[in-house]
Amino acid sequence: MDFDTGRAEAVLLTPRQRWSMVFSFVLIGLGLIAGANLRDSSLNRSLIYNNVEAGITARYPHRWLLSEAEDYVFRVENTAQLGFNTLMEVRTLPVGPDTTERNLLDRLTLRRSQTLIDYTVLGYDIYVLPDDTAAVTMSYSYVSRDASPFLEGVSAIVAGLDVLTISRGQAVIVSFRADASIFQRERATLDRFIQSLEY
Amino acid sequence: MIVTVNKLSIYVLGGLLLSLFAPSFGYAQTDLDAIKRATVFIYQVQSLASDLVVKCVSTGTIVSADGLIVTNAHSVVPSQTCDGETLIISMNVDLNEPPVPKYRAEIANADQGLDIAVLRITRELDGRTIAAGALPVLPFVGIGASADLDIDDNILVSGYRDIGNQAVTIARGTITAFISEPRGGTRAWFKTRAELPGTMSGGGAYDSLGQLIGIPTSAKYGRPVTEDSCRFIEDTTGDGLVNSSDHCVPTGDFISTIRPIRLAQSLIRGAALDLRVQIHTVPGSMLLSSEPPTVSRLIFSPSVVDGLPSTVVGAMPANTNSLYLFFDYHNMTPETVYELRVTRDGIPDATFSLPSVHWSGGQNGLWYIGSRDQPWPNGAYQFTLLLNGLAAASQRIVVGGGADNSARFSNIVFGLLDNQGNLIGNGYILPIGTIAYARFLYANLRDGTPWSTIWYYGGAEVGRTNDIWSRGASGSDVVQLRPLGGLIPGKYRLELYLDRVLSATSDFVVAGSTGGPLPAVFFNGRYVSASSVFDARDATASSAFTGAVPSIFALFDWQEIAAGTDWTVRWLVDDLPFFESTFAWVTVESGSDFMLSVDSPPDGKYQLQLLVNNLQILAIEGTVGIGQLPIDRLAEYEGALLRGRVLDAATSTGIANVTIVLISEDYSASEFEWKEEQVFATSMTDRNGDFQFARPLAADTPYSVIVAADGYLPLAADSFEFGTDQRAVDITMELVRGYLND
Repeated sequence: MDFDTGRAEAVLLTPRQRWSMVFSFVLIGLGLIAGANLRDSSLNRSLIYNNVEAGITARYPHRWLLSEAEDYVFRVENTAQLGFNTLMEVRTLPVGPDTTERNLLDRLTLRRSQTLIDYTVLGYDIYVLPDDTAAVTMSYSYVSRDASPFLEGVSAIVAGLDVLTISRGQAVIVSFRADASIFQRERATLDRFIQSLEY
Repeated sequence: MIVTVNKLSIYVLGGLLLSLFAPSFGYAQTDLDAIKRATVFIYQVQSLASDLVVKCVSTGTIVSADGLIVTNAHSVVPSQTCDGETLIISMNVDLNEPPVPKYRAEIANADQGLDIAVLRITRELDGRTIAAGALPVLPFVGIGASADLDIDDNILVSGYRDIGNQAVTIARGTITAFISEPRGGTRAWFKTRAELPGTMSGGGAYDSLGQLIGIPTSAKYGRPVTEDSCRFIEDTTGDGLVNSSDHCVPTGDFISTIRPIRLAQSLIRGAALDLRVQIHTVPGSMLLSSEPPTVSRLIFSPSVVDGLPSTVVGAMPANTNSLYLFFDYHNMTPETVYELRVTRDGIPDATFSLPSVHWSGGQNGLWYIGSRDQPWPNGAYQFTLLLNGLAAASQRIVVGGGADNSARFSNIVFGLLDNQGNLIGNGYILPIGTIAYARFLYANLRDGTPWSTIWYYGGAEVGRTNDIWSRGASGSDVVQLRPLGGLIPGKYRLELYLDRVLSATSDFVVAGSTGGPLPAVFFNGRYVSASSVFDARDATASSAFTGAVPSIFALFDWQEIAAGTDWTVRWLVDDLPFFESTFAWVTVESGSDFMLSVDSPPDGKYQLQLLVNNLQILAIEGTVGIGQLPIDRLAEYEGALLRGRVLDAATSTGIANVTIVLISEDYSASEFEWKEEQVFATSMTDRNGDFQFARPLAADTPYSVIVAADGYLPLAADSFEFGTDQRAVDITMELVRGYLND
């Protein structure tokens, strides 16, 4: 049996085919960019909270549950979060000429020690606000468990961070709490929140 | 970079670790860090719904590894000014940062008059009870000998300069004077010129050895009205404003007085042994008067004899180095704040003044304040007593001029006469009878001088004689009081006048019946063991209780003791007092089965002493168990705290959750087989890589250490030791990333 061997003839693309290929790549690239933008806008989509009485405006994550109460100006929490719902809370406290940041943080500590299980202060630090002023932070932890005696939820260790600044005769305190295992990952949410905060 | 080594290499690395143990101790001579770590900030707070409102603040000092804290009573014991019921203890996690609230404490022992309280840490910050032995070893300071101090000795004072906003600070100063009072003796107070803000009240004063020798003390009276002595820090009314309608946290004025730690030692001992005395027959609180406190009859004396003035002077010569102001007081309570302001030629004299302090005497009686062995410069001195911030009485005396050769009476003592006409007795307590005799000395008298005696009973004059002196220039003489119906129980006073000027005065008590050298005031003392007051009355008396007992009750009978007579209860265990208090007698004049008790007494030798006018009338002795305290009950906690940080060698950042195993001295690191009995203690690093062992390490004992963390090469070290002079050891260890091949 005889075989005829040899090099195959090269198939040359036509100009039209070449341009089609280029356009395809461009389209794929544009699609990826659009997808990424879509993802970002979906993830970072935010809503505006405005409280004229308290003089506070802020952007908070889309689909986070918003609540207002006597204890705080407003609170948003991620109810889609499995386990402890990451939350951010803004409260204001009146201050006098003698009041210092540390007085207020100690007051928060004393109050929380009454209601939070194993509330522990972990440390204090400085947080630079968007206007380049320095706020004081207090990080802490406690144990959160479901209040119902009929449920079998496992307690969660919650890490928290208070950012406190005194301005125009009042203290503004932003509290951020998340499950301790994801606290650092979630910190960016707090940073974005504070970037948008006006008071 | 990831490094992989075989198992044997860890002991080579151990050498590296050992070298890291050596440095970075860096303590000053007086161990300032140890003092700072033992200093705590105390909030007294009141629970309002789910909130805690700060009522008072103070500084305290940890004096035992198991959490006993010494501080002032006025900032922690509930009162009109400080009406909180919960005590929060803030500790110095970082010595350069303000303290952090960590625990709750309870009052284990307190004396409001001395203004000293001993607290015990009993709960976590959130209110959970800390089980016995579960509290980690806390940094504490040793107690020094406050009696050994001298004028101009250097001291350190540790405390907080603000309401928890600043890190703990240490002020330096010197002892400038000693102030004498009946409660506390010749060194009832130390004076210092160290600059001490009011928030340092309750802190610690230290000698050059770094040992606690006193408690900076000042009183805060009533509701503070000046901005300098009070802080409005929170909106307690809920009106959205922080202003003068809110609760003001008193901070007090600057402090210049220090209570010697000697006066706190029985309180500390009682708290350490958890011995609480209950007086079942007469609660002391029944004595409090609603009348305002007053002082009267201010006189000066150059010396004190058994708590009474030796003589009365109107001026003192140059080179005077001892002077006392005596005065009568009425309706005083431990909450009364008194102050002595002394001026010399119109200029305030800080050395001999006593700033606002709480009253440490009884309700009514004779008091003195002054000093000895300290020069009083020449000048016209004005002594002004203030009660609750208001001037109550004033007296003037001139110091200067030549030697005092004026006529005077002095040194009055009381007693009965024996068959030979000699005065017998103890000097200041007489039994009921018919006649009281008083012997006194006289000097520089001239015959023909008018003189008189005035006797008082219960503050009212009961006898007076006026005469012309005819007994010569100097010597001793005896006068007598023979009241109709005889001497009845109560407080008596004699005043001797020369030419209508008071020259000598002294007080005595009539109580009990004749019974030897001392009147039989208290008698039939005995101990019983019972589970309740009702059982105690019928229980069989015993002086030795062989086993553990629920309570021991001390019972005694009494006779002929008048209401208002001061008497003192002092209770000792193994010859060391753990309770001492003076009360005014308020029950019937004669009776039986007066009852006191202590619950769950540890093994020991107990002695209850009953005193009148500082003279011991009765002692009741008994033993529990083996008759002496268990060896470790009052032993100083010895050893050093081991703490430090574990770092990543590549990044120099702390590594969290690393377990450090301290191997007991019987094993080396190579012999360690991960068995519990080989482990002395374990610790785990926090999120910053810091760690601290809960157990103290014994000095001069070789320990081995193993540090293991996933992703890092293990470290080991043998023969780690430290000296007896080290109270804390700081170490830094670096771990290298890598995996161990098994």
